[in-house]
Amino acid sequence: MEGCSDLLRVNGLSAQYGSMPVLRRVTFHIEEREVVALIGSNGAGKSTLLRVISGLHRPSEGAVEFAGTPIQQMAPERIVRLGLVQVPEARQLFPSLTVLENLDLGGYLFGRKHIAEHREKMFQLFPILFERQRQKAGTLSGGEQQMLSIARALMAKPRLLLLDEPSLGLAPLVVEEIYHTLEALHGEGTTILLVEQNAMGALEIAERAYVLETGRIVLSGKASELMEHDDVQRAYLGRDYQHKWER
Amino acid sequence: MAQGWSDYRSRDEIRQLQREQLQMTLNRAYFNVDFYRRRMDGLGLLPEDVATRDDLANFPFTTRQDLAEHYPYGLFAEPLKSIVRLKISSPAWLDQRRPIVIGFTRHDVAMWQALMVRLYQQLGITERDIVQVAFNFSLFPGAFTFNHAAESLGATLAPSATISATLQLQIMQDFRSTVLATTAAFALHMAETMERQSLDAASLYLRLILLGPDPLTEDTRQRLESAFKVPVYGLYGVNEMVEPGVAGECPAQQGLHLAEDQFFAEIVHPTTGEPVAPGHEGELVLTTLTTEAYPLIRYRTRDITVLREAPCACGRTSARLAPILRRTDNRISIRGIPLYPEQVEALLRGIDPFLEDFRLIVYTSHGIGEQLEIHLVRSANHDFPGGSRSQYLELTRSHIRRALGLGARVQMVDAEHLPKEGLTYKTVFRSTAPLHQS
Repeated sequence: MEGCSDLLRVNGLSAQYGSMPVLRRVTFHIEEREVVALIGSNGAGKSTLLRVISGLHRPSEGAVEFAGTPIQQMAPERIVRLGLVQVPEARQLFPSLTVLENLDLGGYLFGRKHIAEHREKMFQLFPILFERQRQKAGTLSGGEQQMLSIARALMAKPRLLLLDEPSLGLAPLVVEEIYHTLEALHGEGTTILLVEQNAMGALEIAERAYVLETGRIVLSGKASELMEHDDVQRAYLGRDYQHKWER
Repeated sequence: MAQGWSDYRSRDEIRQLQREQLQMTLNRAYFNVDFYRRRMDGLGLLPEDVATRDDLANFPFTTRQDLAEHYPYGLFAEPLKSIVRLKISSPAWLDQRRPIVIGFTRHDVAMWQALMVRLYQQLGITERDIVQVAFNFSLFPGAFTFNHAAESLGATLAPSATISATLQLQIMQDFRSTVLATTAAFALHMAETMERQSLDAASLYLRLILLGPDPLTEDTRQRLESAFKVPVYGLYGVNEMVEPGVAGECPAQQGLHLAEDQFFAEIVHPTTGEPVAPGHEGELVLTTLTTEAYPLIRYRTRDITVLREAPCACGRTSARLAPILRRTDNRISIRGIPLYPEQVEALLRGIDPFLEDFRLIVYTSHGIGEQLEIHLVRSANHDFPGGSRSQYLELTRSHIRRALGLGARVQMVDAEHLPKEGLTYKTVFRSTAPLHQS
């Protein structure tokens, strides 16, 4: 603990698909109990970054440290055991299994006793899942699926929860509900890395944020400041000027 | 960001933060600054080629020359749409049509102010203080930062600008000012005035004196501390970045704490450009870390100092700069106004093509330039520009005043009476002012 409150440290991380570089020496950190957003447009490298952190994709260079332990060469299940758990993009549930079965799978690594204890907590956090526990996951609405996906990740007792575009394809009201849940989790002490294309939404609930653009981090700061930032707009809408002197 | 910064982070955390900020500075410079884009493309360098702090040493320096050559917007990383303030770095260069213009976004302005607030807080200045700010605002634009930061801190601001020392002392008593911020030269002048008036320092409410933008010498500090009976502190800024705000002293008076969340410092050998061993003297090279509008990578400050990473007696973990007492160029300073002998030379030769030689005689008090005298040697075979000899001298005087914002005595001498120049180009320092008017 001495002197270092960073839960996650990513230093000079690069990754490529074949010969195509996707991440170019990305460096950032997350402190214990922080909510950090990583925002960027489509194709910026956000999902790849999460896949590398979770151990699903090998980096070509650089280091990832989780609570002081280097994890860049570790198998995904060992990383989950350390407490770093990802909620994948587009939910990726088992549609033909029930809500309950999906949920139990999330705690699979930790044994039956653990599952029984944590299931209750998930139902408190997401009452709708309790109601639908016998239903097949594939029959849930998009918002419910997202909640199940988050709940499943929480079953693994994360110290750090990584979320990949939890708002994707959901109605604004549902997105709000999801974000409320994240705030509640943060209140309980979970550290969260929220990866979003939906910059404004993510900046609402994050304390700090990094902006990723074509595989590089180009901006960071307090979320409240980035919200007002011209460059955040430009990162999404492209350059709005030809010459520096334009007003 | 400047506000969320803690002065007591571990060195390890500071390094992590600097690595992160450095990646962004390089990325943004490459994508947004024409000058850096061309330079890096020319070298076949990509931002990601700089993986570690040591790799940065492969990146070329940025010099004052680069800034002047890319006037006005060649080094801007942001369009004017996002710029809220422009600053001409050195008005003195106007005459050569090569000034340096620096832009600030909202973030940059807020960062600058937050850094100044930090320097105040570091010295224990609070909302209960009355801060008397006595600068010539037209000659030192950074003076406004003293004002803004005092207000932002909630202290009471008493801007007293350029009024006389007598009136300053009067205000200081009447307002019960607890903090005086001014130049070293003016503080010395106030000390003399106080002694002449037999004013007792005990009749003031002063708690401390903060001096800038010129470096504070130990000699000046002792003189002022014994005159005012309060501690005297120095600060540091870089004209082409933020001045003041880059670094400042704490009550321990053992070096200037560098704002390492905003600036990455290296110390290099002034001629070879190679890094010097830790703890050794060399030229300070700074890279901005969050500056948006005018990011500078490895900027040669021309200031000679020592960087120390050992924790300070005050407990702060930020690295400290030794007070800057020398520069690698010929810049001199008269009452806090910076000027270059080369620039005065260009000015003088512009007026009189038959100028043969000249000297700048800088009268100093406690090592601080107070008055400027110019001795001219010209060929007797040519007519005086402007008509007569006295008209020529008057013409020169008024040119100097216009270009430098500074009054200078100008006289003609014979070549054999020209004093021998010292280490500084065409410049001689004399330690007593010839006549001291109040």
